[in-house]
Amino acid sequence: MTRPIARPRLGRIAVHGALLFYTLVAIGPILLILVNAFKSRRAIFNEPLALPTAKTFSLIGFDKVLAKSDFGLYFLNSLTVTIGSVALVLAAGSMAAWALTEYRFRGNALLGLYMAIGVMVPIRLGSVSILQLMVDLNLVNTLTALILVYTAQGLPLAIILLAEFIQQIPRDLRDAARCDGIGEYHIFWSVILPLLRPAVATVAVFTIVPIWNDLWFPLILAPGNGKQTITLGVQQFIGQYVIDWNAVIASLSLAIAPILVLYILFSRQLVRGLTAGAVK
Amino acid sequence: MGGDVSLAEQTASERRRPWSHILVFLAPAALIYTVFSIYPLLDTIRYALYTQDEHGIAHFAGLANFIDLFSLPVWADQFRNALLNNLIFFVIHVTVQNIIGIALAAMLSLPKLFGRNIYRTLIFLPTMLSVVIIGFVWQLILSPLWGVSEGFLRAIGLPQLFAPWLGQESTALVTISLISVWQFVGIPMMLIYAALLNIPEDLVDAATVDGANHLHVFFYVKLPLILPTIGLVAILTFVGNFNAFDLIYAVKGTLAGPNFASDIMGTFFYRTFFGYQLQLGNPTMGAAVATMMFLIILVGVMIYLFGVQRRMQRYAL
Amino acid sequence: MPDVTLRGISKSFGTVEILHDINLEVKDGEFCVFVGPSGCGKTTLLRIIAGLESVGAGELSIGGRRVNELAPAERRIAMVFQSYALYPHMTVYRNIAFGLKFSGGRKAEVDAKVRRTAEILHLTPLLNRKPRDLSGGQRQRVAIGRAIVREPSVFLFDEPLSNLDAALRVNTRIEIAKLHRQLAATMIYVTHDQVEAMTLASKIVVLNHGRVEQAGAPLELYHRPRNLFVAGFIGSPKMNLIKGRVVASDAEGARIALADGRETRLRKIEAALAPGQEVTLGIRPEHMAAGTGGPVALEGSVDAVERLGEASYVYMHLTDGTNITLRSPGDSKVEPGSALTVSAASGAVHLFDADGLALAHIVIPA
Repeated sequence: MTRPIARPRLGRIAVHGALLFYTLVAIGPILLILVNAFKSRRAIFNEPLALPTAKTFSLIGFDKVLAKSDFGLYFLNSLTVTIGSVALVLAAGSMAAWALTEYRFRGNALLGLYMAIGVMVPIRLGSVSILQLMVDLNLVNTLTALILVYTAQGLPLAIILLAEFIQQIPRDLRDAARCDGIGEYHIFWSVILPLLRPAVATVAVFTIVPIWNDLWFPLILAPGNGKQTITLGVQQFIGQYVIDWNAVIASLSLAIAPILVLYILFSRQLVRGLTAGAVK
Repeated sequence: MGGDVSLAEQTASERRRPWSHILVFLAPAALIYTVFSIYPLLDTIRYALYTQDEHGIAHFAGLANFIDLFSLPVWADQFRNALLNNLIFFVIHVTVQNIIGIALAAMLSLPKLFGRNIYRTLIFLPTMLSVVIIGFVWQLILSPLWGVSEGFLRAIGLPQLFAPWLGQESTALVTISLISVWQFVGIPMMLIYAALLNIPEDLVDAATVDGANHLHVFFYVKLPLILPTIGLVAILTFVGNFNAFDLIYAVKGTLAGPNFASDIMGTFFYRTFFGYQLQLGNPTMGAAVATMMFLIILVGVMIYLFGVQRRMQRYAL
Repeated sequence: MPDVTLRGISKSFGTVEILHDINLEVKDGEFCVFVGPSGCGKTTLLRIIAGLESVGAGELSIGGRRVNELAPAERRIAMVFQSYALYPHMTVYRNIAFGLKFSGGRKAEVDAKVRRTAEILHLTPLLNRKPRDLSGGQRQRVAIGRAIVREPSVFLFDEPLSNLDAALRVNTRIEIAKLHRQLAATMIYVTHDQVEAMTLASKIVVLNHGRVEQAGAPLELYHRPRNLFVAGFIGSPKMNLIKGRVVASDAEGARIALADGRETRLRKIEAALAPGQEVTLGIRPEHMAAGTGGPVALEGSVDAVERLGEASYVYMHLTDGTNITLRSPGDSKVEPGSALTVSAASGAVHLFDADGLALAHIVIPA
């Protein structure tokens, strides 16, 4: 490790100062909201920066949110769409990544390029036709529509990440299985898939976050009653109750919480995924 | 493998066997992707060449939509405005976001930095949250009614700086851009951090022995080696910016006010397609706008792939 | 006046102590090689001298100045890294010139120095290439060039040959030796390969677990190893070690009982031995021969024979299980499975006490 001798102390203090400052900038606003979610209306206005005390503690915001809106349902919808999409992406994506990496066939490279285009070109641009397609398929205002679209959206990146990962599986493992006379499907199922487990976490995180946080497609494809995702639900709720600060802040906190938990649990995988797959 | 099967038969059957497998493996992904991603894009471009009459029937119109887009004031003004705003949006991102991101990554990659993981995790947190949430959080904080930001500025002795930035035409776009930067700075930070980690310690040692201090090492050794990653970040920012919609919609609604001051291509597209109080939704024109967005992004990506990426090759480290 | 002096140098990383109380002197113009197994601390020691690691405890002087707190660039040292550490985005010219960038100097001066260095190392036609267009050997020369151009008082080499293939390694070894003579500079060289150490060094420092086992001229370490570790480390194949116990000892010599029950008589032992003392006898494979011509006759059975043309290596084991290697010139007629008696025929029989320290080196006339 390098540690040049001359004057390290002063520089380090400045660095920590800068980092601390920016960290505060980064999480300050979020903390502010979370803290104020548990305060009474008066306390929010009079002492926005104070922590909730016994006197100012209040769950009134949450009560209103849970009473006036279907947060539970929205949450379930988001969960359904997200899990459905991730499952499809992982299933279809790993199969495609496997086929592209392992087998030599004409057009392999071209197909790879075809799939990779999706990373650079946003799927939203085709929304006019997507909506028409959903109308024709009778899928408007269904979670299925969202799942299909998000799967299409998530596949390119997932395939790139998974292909990278599969390439690192030693050739010998695959060839040995073939020498044993195991069929191709069986090789994929029992040899390759278990080895993909570390990559699954990374791909899942990359896929989940854009889906969970998306506003565009729920707005266009499934805005109807009972089918909103949590992001759309929050947006509509706030639009409706914009002057009710308790409710607004509480609903924001409720929307933040799941991602926060997920993030704390999986931050290591996320970082590993970003740092590994990023340098391409 | 086979036993008594002759070599020639074996090779033939090998060649025959994987074929169906490949198709089966590729089919689901290719199908979903093509139907819901590629086809709609191509269809949108096709649709942009049509117009819809009052009964909703589409007639082929050639480039009429595009001509209207560029010449009819009702479209052209908004289009130009949105495009310009998007450019400003992009420039603010590339400068502010990427410079802060590089600085943070450089600091985080210093050897033996205490608390590195904690800093990294916390600074990346806003990126994980929904843009909608971020938008509202900042709306509250910047709101004159709540007074948090006013109070903050007063506390650091700059009360006169405060203004309802989000509500003013002159400052709305910049404010929203900065909010977006605040949220997404984590991504360039992470990508550049990863690239910096890839630089072998030896190079830093060699430069130190050659007489370079930390700043020298950064500018002469590290920065040149992470230029490809910076290029990647720039193009990702470009694509992302010209696709942005959620934040502005959440904060300002369809009209991207005040007075279209924060209108960018994404919101323009949405408004054109779905319409609003003063205007009926126009799917074919919407398709035209989407096609323009696609072309702009395509040009940007082409410039990147053939201009930037070729120049900034990755060095065999 | 010694060029590099280490006094009482110790270093820990966290709670792990890597170097213990190292005391060394490297004279001006010496080629000093730090050698030892992985993890012995030799690279850490080199990096401390370079200034890339801080001194834990102790005094470090270069050219007579105490340099503990000085940055690497201020110590007038230059380093050649194991991986060459060439700046991939710079041409060979700029790579070499980089070292002069921070010490001032006009452009013309810098240019002259770079070109002169390139001449010495036959790099002139490559000046405009980037490292990725160079072969391994060429890259190494650029790394050396980058060091030379700074005209340091001490050159530091960190295992520079380990990334080269065998043939190139021999050639480059000769080049480095020539360079040393040409520049008459002080060089400190780290390697795990004892052959490199023996061929290049004017002084070898054997390190083990952060301690200096022995420091001295190569042949001195070969003929008079100070302990079991150095005896086993220097020389390939390793020295044969046979356990024994002193039966009787007087002014003439001593009788030592070996594990298989036989006794051997050794004359002219410089040290005093006590009866019953546990000792270890060391004889190098190249100093043994078949037959009972010399002392320390050993009986065993042959496990394998390797014939390399210029010599043969006979691997056998004694009745108590001890493995013995014998090197005989030319083609050996011995076959695996046969019984064989060998004894010391030339060189020396080394005697070590129970703690592994050398007691005596008894020369065996050939």
